[in-house]
Amino acid sequence: MKIRLGVVAAALAAAAVASAAVAQDVVKIGQIEAQTGTLATYGWMGHQGANMAVAEINKAGGFKVGSKTYKLELISPDTRANPQDALIQLKTMVEQQQVRYVFGPFLTNVFNGIEPYATQQNGKILMMGGATAIHAQLGKPNHDYLMRTWNWDAGSAGFGQLLVDYLKKQGAKKVAMLFQNDAFGKVAVDIYTPIFKNAGIDLQIELFEPGTKDFSAPLAKLAANKPDFLFPGYVDAVLFDIVRQATETGLYKRFFTVRGSMAPGLKNKDLIDDYIAYLPKWFEQAEKTEPKVKEFVAKYKAFYKTSEFPYDQAPLCSSSCYDHVYMLVEAMKKAGTVDDVAKVKAALMKERYSGLWNIRYDDTGEAVFDFDVLHMRKGGAITATRVTPK
Amino acid sequence: MKSQQAGLFIVSIFLLALPLWVKSDVVLTILVFSWLQGMLAVSFNLIFGFTGQLSMFHAAAFGVAAYATHLFMQHLGVGYWTAVVLAALLVSVLSIIVGTICFRFRLKEFYFAVVTLAFSEMARLTVLNWNDVTNGSLGINLQEKPWLLGFKVDGTVPWYYLSLFALAATLLVCWRVVHSWMGRCFSAIRLNDELGDTLGINVFRYKLAAFVAGNVIAAIAGSLYAFYLGSLEPGFLSIDQSLGIVAMVLLGGRSSVFAPVAGALLLTALPHLIHFSAEVRSIVYGSILILTILVLPQGIYGSIAALLRKRHAA
Amino acid sequence: MGQLLLGQLLNGAILGTLYGIIALGVTLTFGITGIVNFALGVFMMLGAYAAWYFTDVAGLPYPLAVPCAVAVTALAGLIADQGLFRFTRNNLVNGLLVSIGMIAVLEASALLIWTSTPKELHRVLPGVFVIFGFVLPKMKLLVFGLLLAVIIATYMALTRTWIGRAAYAYAQNPEAAQLMGVRTSRLQTGVVVYSTALAGLGGALYASLYSLEPTLGSLFVLKAVEAAILAGIGSVIGSLFGGIILGVTEGVGSIYLPLAFRDAYGLVFLVAILLFKPAGLFAGRR
Repeated sequence: MKIRLGVVAAALAAAAVASAAVAQDVVKIGQIEAQTGTLATYGWMGHQGANMAVAEINKAGGFKVGSKTYKLELISPDTRANPQDALIQLKTMVEQQQVRYVFGPFLTNVFNGIEPYATQQNGKILMMGGATAIHAQLGKPNHDYLMRTWNWDAGSAGFGQLLVDYLKKQGAKKVAMLFQNDAFGKVAVDIYTPIFKNAGIDLQIELFEPGTKDFSAPLAKLAANKPDFLFPGYVDAVLFDIVRQATETGLYKRFFTVRGSMAPGLKNKDLIDDYIAYLPKWFEQAEKTEPKVKEFVAKYKAFYKTSEFPYDQAPLCSSSCYDHVYMLVEAMKKAGTVDDVAKVKAALMKERYSGLWNIRYDDTGEAVFDFDVLHMRKGGAITATRVTPK
Repeated sequence: MKSQQAGLFIVSIFLLALPLWVKSDVVLTILVFSWLQGMLAVSFNLIFGFTGQLSMFHAAAFGVAAYATHLFMQHLGVGYWTAVVLAALLVSVLSIIVGTICFRFRLKEFYFAVVTLAFSEMARLTVLNWNDVTNGSLGINLQEKPWLLGFKVDGTVPWYYLSLFALAATLLVCWRVVHSWMGRCFSAIRLNDELGDTLGINVFRYKLAAFVAGNVIAAIAGSLYAFYLGSLEPGFLSIDQSLGIVAMVLLGGRSSVFAPVAGALLLTALPHLIHFSAEVRSIVYGSILILTILVLPQGIYGSIAALLRKRHAA
Repeated sequence: MGQLLLGQLLNGAILGTLYGIIALGVTLTFGITGIVNFALGVFMMLGAYAAWYFTDVAGLPYPLAVPCAVAVTALAGLIADQGLFRFTRNNLVNGLLVSIGMIAVLEASALLIWTSTPKELHRVLPGVFVIFGFVLPKMKLLVFGLLLAVIIATYMALTRTWIGRAAYAYAQNPEAAQLMGVRTSRLQTGVVVYSTALAGLGGALYASLYSLEPTLGSLFVLKAVEAAILAGIGSVIGSLFGGIILGVTEGVGSIYLPLAFRDAYGLVFLVAILLFKPAGLFAGRR
């Protein structure tokens, strides 16, 4: 009896040690994103990309920091865009699952809900998300844990000014802006109004309820002012319908978008004179010209066992996604630690990463990366310019 | 009756002592949210389970009070608790207006639901679009915390007690109301409001009373919830929120004052207990809802009560 | 301004028939089975995706794809009725919750199968008409015509055929109808299946005009329920006009008042109507 107990005890102890040892050699990344529901587009791609990166790194044997080899684990619950659930998930990650690195959130309401708790954990975690509301919190006291993984339209490294200048060269005098009445829509209005004003371009704004499908009324209203360009925003779900209905009226021939793919323009190419878009990356083209992108597309198809690559969603992988996992691993190696988040952040801030995108972080901790400006002309011919912010 | 009281006593001691041995912040957080959602469920049941009116205005009462509390503090410079009272007053005025419109015109159950939904949506759209005041879809971050008896209610354990007491107060009030002559009038109205009229009950007044009372409790829950979460967003007033409350009550059991708390607890904790992939979890959630309706139409409480009755009868 | 107004009147009327066909399904279901079937929104979504699938993936011509989509949706409706709705007859609240559960399950499944990438049908009937300076896509007019025809045909069927009158009699007085030999459970199933078929048709035609995503049904069904109530539950022609009134109110309201409140205009109108004519505008009429 005693011997048996002893054996059991020893086995348990060994298992405990083993599991503890295994736990030590795993770096966990927590992902706080909405993966179902109407707002799931951002979170979905972020998960697809990060998941693949984690699997690749583990398959290659993990990564070495100092003398130890580590593997990654991705913990990715679904917030369903609900701040209450996101808060509980974050607490679970931090307190029960020893997560130090958090990817996300993209949604502002989720970020607002978890921000008080995350700030309490300042110094223990690193949160890298794309939410609009993160921008305003960067650099505030006790917010060292925060970084923003998406670029910002305004500012010296932003592309808003660049695009408006380009528009001016195209002869734009009046622009009509038709945006969703949501967090980013409001911010876009705030950002672009002064830029257009300074450029001497007349801007008319209409905001619509997310979920609208029939744009007959706002398009008719805006057309009365005879704008040169329509500036619709900013996801494919609405762009398809806006561009289609706008071109059908015959009153809109020139379009300008920030984000969203080229697909809406291409579908209506014979009715459009100019379709100018800023895209994080024009994947259809990049697949042919950039080896890393080609590899990514092939790997994606193999990993997820599909013949369809989500070209329209892929640009969203510019935030808290594939590249960022690799960047984090690089930073941990350079910093020589997987636990000390301050050192890891310092390393991230100095890093210049070259993956699908060329990414670096500015002084405030906001991402700056190269992007494409595409100009489609009637018939579908597209000229693309790669812009690398300084 | 004695065994019921004893049971209540034991449960109360258990819940009060819980934070002493449960150290997990995650579990306590889930409980805080459960108690606050429980307040919403129990107060909704006053209108729905006991008076028979399916109101879709509950989320609006919840959300409007949350925003109002912050705005009163910001623009009038009052303290938290004063703001809570003012917000509750505002919600009661709104409820009186909406309720009078609905009940004066003698809207039947289904139409009542639709009209309250319409008003709720109008409230949500106002909050969403009145940017100067509510910051619209960007929401508002709340830095302040309430102070009670010289203690700042900050951190999970203080909030656990605050929300538990608020829930207990809600249960007490609802219990007393339901077991008073007022409650009997509610039941009469639920069973057949036209008959209630012939019996001399001022149906309009009692329906309105139930509606306002339920919404005021929801308002207080909203003020607490927002300051616990630390942020405001227009989503507080969404249809999803209202439907979530209905689901909690139906799951728990609508014939009891206490049972909706069980529904609230289950639906708050459930997403964190089931660890499926995102879409699969939605499917499981939807299926649970369907199965509960088809298999447990009286809710968990009602079904257990029925089972026990059968055993006793046998 | 006049041109703007006329345009929105026309457009609102067309959009209104889309609301109307779903509203018809809502009203029929309520009249015969006593529940408001919010799940009609997901059946509309099913019809839309089915039409897309048959046209763009299977390569069928659109005029053939539409009836196929309707058939698929009707079949799904039959399964749903036998498996779920059958147990919620005349229980409004249970019906509501079962619908919500169904919506969650079906939307998530659609998301799994088709992802959130919006799908767009190729242009079935490109080209526009210009009416008094207002541009109206040809396809919209065609959809309008088709839906109008179906709604009127339904009305005729209800008032002229034996089955229709049996259904109407049942809605008025269930016991008497039963005594007269109407097979109630068959009737109820039939109505549910027909309603889902209507929703499927609405969805299939919707697919020719707008892009598709799994949540397209949710917004529509809410409007449809509003339209059905506006008209008075139980009125067939009423649901058509209820839909049109709602569509027009939204469109016209959007011109003069902020667009962001568009959904509110319909609501305000609805509340006003319900208060002054609680049984709906067309109550009492067929």
